[in-house]
Amino acid sequence: MLLLPGMYMAADSPIHRLDPRAKMGAALVLMVLPFSVQRPLAYLVLIGVVAAVAWLARAPLKPLLRTLRTVFWLAVIMFVFYFFTTPGRPLLTLGEITVTWEGLIAGGLQVYRLCLVVIVAALLTYTTSPLQMTHGLEALLCPLARLGVPVRELGMVMTIALRFVPTFFDEMETLARAQRARGAEIGSGPPWRRLRSLVPVMVPLFVLAFRRAEDLAVAMEARGFRCSPHRTRLYCLSFTRWDGLAVLLVLGLAILVTR
Amino acid sequence: MHIRVECLTHIYAPGTPAERFALREISLEIEPGERVGILGPTGSGKSTLVQHIAGLLKPTVGQVLLDGVPAHAPTAEARARRRRVGLAFQYPEQQIFETTVFREVAFGPRNLGLNGEEVTRRVRWALETVGLDPEAFGARTPFALSGGEMRRVALASVLALLPRVLILDEPTAGLDPRGREDLLARLDAWQRETGATLVVVSHHLDEVARLVERVVVLQEGRVVADGPARALLGDGNLWRSLGLAPPPEVALLEALQQLGWPIPPECWPREELAREILRQWQKRHSQQGARSTQHAARSR
Repeated sequence: MLLLPGMYMAADSPIHRLDPRAKMGAALVLMVLPFSVQRPLAYLVLIGVVAAVAWLARAPLKPLLRTLRTVFWLAVIMFVFYFFTTPGRPLLTLGEITVTWEGLIAGGLQVYRLCLVVIVAALLTYTTSPLQMTHGLEALLCPLARLGVPVRELGMVMTIALRFVPTFFDEMETLARAQRARGAEIGSGPPWRRLRSLVPVMVPLFVLAFRRAEDLAVAMEARGFRCSPHRTRLYCLSFTRWDGLAVLLVLGLAILVTR
Repeated sequence: MHIRVECLTHIYAPGTPAERFALREISLEIEPGERVGILGPTGSGKSTLVQHIAGLLKPTVGQVLLDGVPAHAPTAEARARRRRVGLAFQYPEQQIFETTVFREVAFGPRNLGLNGEEVTRRVRWALETVGLDPEAFGARTPFALSGGEMRRVALASVLALLPRVLILDEPTAGLDPRGREDLLARLDAWQRETGATLVVVSHHLDEVARLVERVVVLQEGRVVADGPARALLGDGNLWRSLGLAPPPEVALLEALQQLGWPIPPECWPREELAREILRQWQKRHSQQGARSTQHAARSR
């Protein structure tokens, strides 16, 4: 699936309505902040702010927290690493190994940062449709187009890719069933055999994907599609007062907690 | 193999906003060696039903019994039964993945754990059955074949499993008329030779009429008609109520009846209908001929 935790859920909330550019900018700031604050109170404030955003976005609590599962092992590894390698006041000594109070705090802090980043990212994907996200990203990266980066083309590629993710999953399932009907055992046995058993599904999947890509390209060209700078959109992004306010609030928060 | 579908209900994505009933309490039996057509408009649940018969889906409620064993059960007994059910999906050529035609057709038999000699024998037989010369096609790459040839390779790869029940989901979709006729004739011959059960899913009434004796009609996941093909296919009103075009013969029969030709509705299949039309036409023609001769004589 997508690398981003969580998925878009259509709903009507103040956060859903924000301009994707404002939302992505604000989310970026909120993801950096946990790494740049020092005081314990600031940590709590950040948690409070993220919780407030989640409440405003009408995000269901359980699925939101479940996105943390995706980084569970990463969190464990980070915690263990900091726990055992940070020097300081000894907390416990087991033979050669000494763990410290500082290690406990540093490990906990890393986990806290990781969790906050994941939740903010999940809130962003939860409240922003993939299409909006691509538009926003394209708009934010626009300055790079002057340097010769094909921003518009990349945006188009991303939009199309996201559009076909569900289609691919449907096709994969159908293909797996079709091969199972021919006696194939898909996804069972030892790792090497399991990998090999995917060939009858992956090869046709790629064949279908390439054929579809060709058809799509022809269809787009037949309709005169070009990634020209003069291309217009049905839905224009509009940066309203509320978006400005949201950005100002987040920037204000950033100044407040990092002071 | 005896197939018994008991009160089968299938719900896609249950408990979500996208929840959809694909099948609602379907019950039917298919005897060994029967030729059954499953008809219905798009979205009526035809494909879902046959995938259940092949044991590929888990019923939400109810069950499918293959010789009395639940088709979806994880037991060895059920697996052995499932292996005797061959299912060719819609556009089966999309599942082709091997480097040569031979290897593609051999995939099924190899999965059955057969030895090389038996695999070769079955591949040759299957390719011949669908009308492809094993010598000429065996070593070619399937992706360079025409659409019709790829379809044949895909069907051969199912036949090579020597199924006791063969299920074909829209077997002739996208083929040209000649390819369609040829394929139907070969499937017909295959069924007569092996005596296996044949289940054909289609919304193309014409081809089903050629191939099956019994028709099960689905609409919105329910069985709305089940009976001899002869009786059901001639029922133009049934097809129109389903939003399907009646077979051309039925349209012709109805048009002639409207014009006052006394053609009995049992004139079916097309050969019989043709004979009846010819007979009545000759009768009328001879009458008309006599009248026009008189007319010509008078005007002279």
